Amino acid sequence: MSTGPPVAAGAPAPGGPGAVPSVARRLALYQRAGGIVTPLLTAMFAFMMGGVVVLATGHNPIATYRAIFKGTGLTWFGEFAEWLFRLATFQSHVFPGDTDAALNLQQTLIVMTPLMLTGLAVAFAFRCGLFNIGAQGQYLVGQMAAVGFGTLWAGLGGTLHLFLAVTLAALAGALWGGIAGFLKATVGAHEVITTIMLNWIAIWVAAYLVGLGGPMQDPSQAFFPISSTIHEAAKLPVFWGDAELQGLHVGLFIAFAMLVVYWTTLNRTTLGYEVRAVGFNPEAARYGGISVRRNYFLAMAISGFFAGLAGALDILGWQFHIAQADIEASTIGFIGIAVALLGRNTAVGVFFASLVFAGLYVGTSTRQLDPSVFDPELASNLTLIIQGLVVLFVGADLLILYVWSARRKLPWVRGKAAQA
Amino acid sequence: MSSGTAAVGGRDLPAWLAVTPRRVGIAGIALGAAAFWLALPPLLTRTVIWPIIVAVLALAAGAFAIRAGERRVGWGAVASGLVGIVGAVWATQWSSTSDLEEVFVWSALLAATLRFATPLTFAAIGGMFSERSGVTNIALEGKMLAGAFFGIWGADRYGSWEAGLGIAMLAGGLLALLHAFFAIHLRADQIVGGTAINFLALGLTGYLFIDQYGSEGTGANISQIPDVHLPGLEDVYFIGPSIGQLNLLIWLSFALLIASYLVMFRMPLGLRIRSVGEHPRAADTVGISVYGIRYFAVTLSGVLAALGGAYLSIGLVHSFNEGMTKGRGFIALAAVIFGNWRPFGAFGAALLFGFSSALALRLGPAYGTNYGTLFQALPYLLTLIAVAGVIGRSIPPAAIGRPYRKQ
Amino acid sequence: MADEVVLELRGITKRFPGIVANDHVDFELRRGEVHALLGENGAGKSTLMNILYGLYSADEGEILLRGKPVGFGSAREAIRSGIGMVHQHFMLIPVMSVAENIILATEPTQAGVFLDYGAAAKRVEELSRAFGLALDPDEKIQNITVGQQQRVEILKALYRNADVLILDEPTAVLTPQEAGELFEIIRTLQREGTSIIFITHKLNEVLDIADRISVLRRGKKVGTVPREGATEAGLARLMVGREVLFRVEKTPSTPGETLLQVANLSAVDDRGLGAVNGISFEVRAGEIVGIAGVDNNGQSELIDVIAGLRRPAEGRVTVGGKDYTRSSARAMIDDARVGHIPEDRHLRGLILDFSLAENFALHDYRKEPDSKLGWLFPRRLIAKARRLIEEFDVRGGGPATRAGSLSGGNQQKLVVAREVERDPRVLIAAQPTRGLDVGAIEFVHRRLIAERDEGRGILLVSLELEEILSLSDRILVIYEGRIVGEFSPEATEEELGLAMTGGGREAVAAA
Repeated sequence: MSTGPPVAAGAPAPGGPGAVPSVARRLALYQRAGGIVTPLLTAMFAFMMGGVVVLATGHNPIATYRAIFKGTGLTWFGEFAEWLFRLATFQSHVFPGDTDAALNLQQTLIVMTPLMLTGLAVAFAFRCGLFNIGAQGQYLVGQMAAVGFGTLWAGLGGTLHLFLAVTLAALAGALWGGIAGFLKATVGAHEVITTIMLNWIAIWVAAYLVGLGGPMQDPSQAFFPISSTIHEAAKLPVFWGDAELQGLHVGLFIAFAMLVVYWTTLNRTTLGYEVRAVGFNPEAARYGGISVRRNYFLAMAISGFFAGLAGALDILGWQFHIAQADIEASTIGFIGIAVALLGRNTAVGVFFASLVFAGLYVGTSTRQLDPSVFDPELASNLTLIIQGLVVLFVGADLLILYVWSARRKLPWVRGKAAQA
Repeated sequence: MSSGTAAVGGRDLPAWLAVTPRRVGIAGIALGAAAFWLALPPLLTRTVIWPIIVAVLALAAGAFAIRAGERRVGWGAVASGLVGIVGAVWATQWSSTSDLEEVFVWSALLAATLRFATPLTFAAIGGMFSERSGVTNIALEGKMLAGAFFGIWGADRYGSWEAGLGIAMLAGGLLALLHAFFAIHLRADQIVGGTAINFLALGLTGYLFIDQYGSEGTGANISQIPDVHLPGLEDVYFIGPSIGQLNLLIWLSFALLIASYLVMFRMPLGLRIRSVGEHPRAADTVGISVYGIRYFAVTLSGVLAALGGAYLSIGLVHSFNEGMTKGRGFIALAAVIFGNWRPFGAFGAALLFGFSSALALRLGPAYGTNYGTLFQALPYLLTLIAVAGVIGRSIPPAAIGRPYRKQ
Repeated sequence: MADEVVLELRGITKRFPGIVANDHVDFELRRGEVHALLGENGAGKSTLMNILYGLYSADEGEILLRGKPVGFGSAREAIRSGIGMVHQHFMLIPVMSVAENIILATEPTQAGVFLDYGAAAKRVEELSRAFGLALDPDEKIQNITVGQQQRVEILKALYRNADVLILDEPTAVLTPQEAGELFEIIRTLQREGTSIIFITHKLNEVLDIADRISVLRRGKKVGTVPREGATEAGLARLMVGREVLFRVEKTPSTPGETLLQVANLSAVDDRGLGAVNGISFEVRAGEIVGIAGVDNNGQSELIDVIAGLRRPAEGRVTVGGKDYTRSSARAMIDDARVGHIPEDRHLRGLILDFSLAENFALHDYRKEPDSKLGWLFPRRLIAKARRLIEEFDVRGGGPATRAGSLSGGNQQKLVVAREVERDPRVLIAAQPTRGLDVGAIEFVHRRLIAERDEGRGILLVSLELEEILSLSDRILVIYEGRIVGEFSPEATEEELGLAMTGGGREAVAAA
C-alpha cells in the first residue's frame, strides 16, 4: 500500500510489467473502451441486482422501483414537454410550477447539488491517482464552517456575508483534505486510511460541538443537540419553489459552474496537466520535472474544496443549521464515490451519475416513498446496496472488456472493418 | 550484533545487556508513559515536577535514538514524552483526584481494554493473512459488520450463541469470497472493490435488520457468549476484576494469536502465504497455487473479521445497530500496518486503540457527556498519528495490492 | 551414455495474437551435454522453454522426456519430472533466506506440521558442497550478491532432483568473472550427469561452454551445429540472416569545453546503502562518454543525481561552470539544460495515457508558448507535436494519438525527440536501445552521433558492451559505485570485462 521495498537484482522493476495501474489509468481505459455504454450497463446491472434483493425479501421489485421513480420527480420533464407543446399549439397552458412532480424534482435537484460536488471531489482526487474516501469528512467540515460563519457577523450585508461564508467554508474543506494530502506528500501515508480516520474525527468533533453543552449548540434550544440557525443574510436565494418549504436554491448553479471549473482546470491549466500526469504515471512525471508530492497535496486540497463547498451549499441553501443526529446519518460524501466512479471521473459523467443517485436518494426517502409499497428505511438501505454494486462493477474491468470484445462481433462493425 | 558481546565504553557486555540506540528509544517510550502514569492513581503525584523530569528524560532518549538512526523508535519516544508532559499537566492541574480515581481504575481499564481490543484483534489477524498473501483488505469493516448482524440474527433465530457465531463466520466468509472473486479472478482494483464490499455490507445488514426487526431493534434475551470465570482468582486484587471474568471470545482471541503466529512463521502454509505475497510469480514457478492461497487468505480474513463483529454484537453490546462497527475495521487494518504484519505487533496496536476507547468511555461520566463525545475521536486520532508516523518506515509484503496475472 | 537422448521437442508451435512465437521447432537434448539455444531478442527461445517447463501450452507438437510423451500443465508437474529452470529474472523472494527460498513448496516438516528448518539447512549445505556452490542457508536473498542469488536458483532446481536444467540468459546479470565461475559449476553439473539447455544471445559465450548450438530466428529453428567448426560470424549469420554490421560509422570526435563535471560524488540507493562512492569525471562538448558496467553497480543512482532526482551525500555536479549539485529535476531540465533519455521509457520516459502532443510538452508545458500564467494552449502543443513527428519520423499516429499505442521504437523516438528538441547542453542516454528492434537501434545510434557532432556532450550508460564500444569516444567503467578504469574505444571486451569485476585498477592511473 505504501512505497514498495527494494528490488532484488534481476527482478522486474516495479512499475514495469505487472505494476498496479492507478484508478485514473483504469478509468481512462474504460472511457476509451466503453464510451457511454458501459456506465449505462453498469447502472442497469446494479439496479437489476438490487431488484433481486427486493424480490428475495418478499417485496415487489417493479412496484418498488416505480414508486421510487415517482418520487424522483423526473416525470416533471414530461409535464414540461407537455407545457411546451401546448404553448406551441396555442392551447391553454399552465406552467407546471408546483405540481407534485415539480416538488419532487426540486428535492432531487437539491440533493443533486452536493452530490455533483462530492462527485467532483472524489473524481479530482482519482485523476491524480488518489482515493479520497474522506469526502464525507470534508463535506462535514464545510457544513460546520458554514454554520460557524453563517451565525457570525450579524450586521454584515447579504451578498458579502454569503460570499464569505461559502468561500471560507469551502476552504475549510480544502484544509481538511489538505491534511491527508500533506501526510501523503511528506511521509507517504496512504490516503485511504488517513481520510477515513479524518472522517471519524470530524464526526466526533462535530458531534461534540453541537451536542448538549457544546460550544456551537443553540442556546435557545437547551435540550436539543443542534446548532444555532444561520442569519437570513447568509441564506442562499431560492429560485423555484417555496423558500419556507425547502425550495430549490441557486447553489445548483454554483455546482453547475463547478463542473465547468473542474473540466477547465484539468484540461486547460498547467496544474491540471500535472495532476493528470501524476495520476497516470508518477514516475514519468517525476522524471519530467513535476513535483509529485506537491500535486498530491494540491489534489487532496482541491478535492476537499469541492466537498467542503457541497457542505456549505447545503447549509446555506436549505438546512440552515445542523443537528447531532444528522452528522452521523449523512452519506453524501460516500455517495460521491459511486458518482465519481460511475461518471468515470469526467465532468459530464459526474453530472449524469449525480442525477441518477440523487433521484435514487430522494425517491427512497421518507417524504417521497409510499410506505405501503416499500418501507423507506428499507429503501435507503437498498440505495446503499445499489451503490455498492455500482462501485463493485466499476472496479472490475471485466464488464468493459466484455463489451469491448462484444463490439467486435457486431455485424456492422465487422462490415466496416472489411471495407477499410 | 551477531557476535555475542557488545562493547560499551571499552568494557565488554553480553549482547542482551548492551545499550543500543534501539533499546534507548524503547526505554524512552516507556519513560514517557511512566511520566504520565506518575500523576495517575495509584501514585497520584500532585506536583508536576517529577513527571516533567521523567518526560524530559524520555525526550532525550528519543533524540538520542533518532540521531543514532533508529528513527521510528526515536520519534515514538519523543511522542511518548510529549504525551507524558501533556497528560501529567492535565492530570495535576486540571483534574481533581476524585475524578482521576474514578476514571483510572486500572483493573477495570484493563478489562475494558481487552474487551474493546478483541474485535480489533480478530479482524487484524484476518487482515494480516489477507495482506500477507498480497491482497489489500480495505473490506474488514464490511465483513465485521456482516458478522455483527448475522451473529446476532443467528443467535436469535436458533437460540444459541454458538449458532450465531457459526452463521456470522459463514456470512463473513461468503462476503469475503465475493471480494476475493473480484480482486483475484477479475483483477479489480482491490481498494475500490473493498470499498464496494463495505457499502454492500452496510446496505445489506441495514436492509435485513429493518426487514427482520423493524424499529424495535433486536430485543433482549438473545443468547450471549458466556464469560469465563477463573475459579479462585475472582477476588484476587487486580487480577480478579481485570481478567477474572473475561468473555470466552477474548480468551479465544489469545489462542488465535498464538495459532496465527505458529501458522504464519512455523508452518509450511505460512511460508507459502508469505511467498505469494512477496513474489507471486516465484511462488507460481515452484508450483504454489497463487489464486488458491489468496482465496484462502481472503476468505479466512472474512471469517475472522466476522467473528470479531459477532463478538461485538453477541458478546459485548448484546444488540445490533446499523453501522455499529463505526470504522473499527479500518482501525484493525491500521493495527496490521502498525504491527508490521505480525500477529503480536498487531495485537499490541489493538491494545493501544482498545485502551483509548476504554479511556474515552470512562472519561465521559467523570467529566461530562459532551467531553466524552469528544474523546470518542481519540482512537481515530491515534490511528491517524500511528499510520502517519509509521507508514513509509514499515515494509509491506512486496506484491501487495497488485492483481496477479497467470499466463 | 553420452549419446542417450534425454529430451526431444518435435514440431512445437505456439501462436500469440499477431505473431507466431514458435514455428514447428525441433530440439533434442542428449544426456550430460550443454546444448545452447541461440537467437536474438524475440526469436522465441524463452517461449520454447516456457512451454517445456509447463508455463505455456503448445498449440502443436509434442515433447518426449526419456522416450515418453509428456505435456506439463504447470511448473509443478515439470519439476516433478526432473526439469528445473533458472529464469533470467530470478524467482527469489528477497526478504526470505536462502534455505526458505529453496525449500518453498517442498518443505520438510517435523511431525508433519511444523517447518523443519534444521533439516532444510542441512540438505542445502549438502548440496552446496556436492556442487561447489558455497552458500549460507540463513542469509537473506536481498543481502547476497547477484552471482550468489543465481546459485540459489540452481540449488533450487537441484534440491528438487532436476536432471535437466534450463538456464535462461544466465550471464545477463553477471560480471565476466562470475560468469566464469558459473561455467565451472556447469561443467561440474555435466560430470554429475545433468543435461543443460543454455539460452543466450551472446555469441562468445556459446563457443565457450556449449557442446551443440541450436539457432532460432523469428520463431523457426534455422540450424543445429556442433561446437567444432562453429564461428562467431557463422553463428551471427544464422541468427540474423544477413551480414551483421557490428559498429556504427562515425568520424573521430573533437571535444571542446567541459560541459558537465562531476566531482567526488557519493550517494545512497533507495535502501540507504552506498551506491555511488566518490565518482569524478567530466563530459566535454562534442564527445560521447560511455559508462560501462554490470547492472546495479551505481549507474542508475549516478544518473539520478546528475538529473536532479536524487540528493547526493557528498560531491558536486557542475554544468557549464555553474554548480547544480542540489538542484531539482526541473532546475536541471530548465536551467542547466540537461536532457535525459531515461532507462525505462514506459516507467519513466513517457506517460502512456497522454497523447503524443502532451508527451512532447512534458518539459515545456509551463512555459510560453505552450502556456501562459498557468493557462494551457492545446493547439500550440499540437502544432509543435506535428512538427516534431515529421522531423523525427515518429510513426504510428498523430499528435492526438495515445502514446501507448506506438511501437517501442517509435516511443523511444518520441523521447529522443523531446529531449533533443530543447537544445540541451548535456544529454544523458540511459539504456537508450533496450528492447528495440534493429532498425530502431540504428536510428538511436545515428541520432546520438549526430547530436555529438552538433557539439553537445553526451553521457551514455549502457549494459551492452557492444553499444558502448561502438558509440563512445571515451569509456569509463563503473564498479561498486566507483570509476575503476578509463579506456579508449579500441579496448577489447576482455579488458573492459576485467575492469567491470574490479580488476585493472592500474588503468585508472594510466588514464
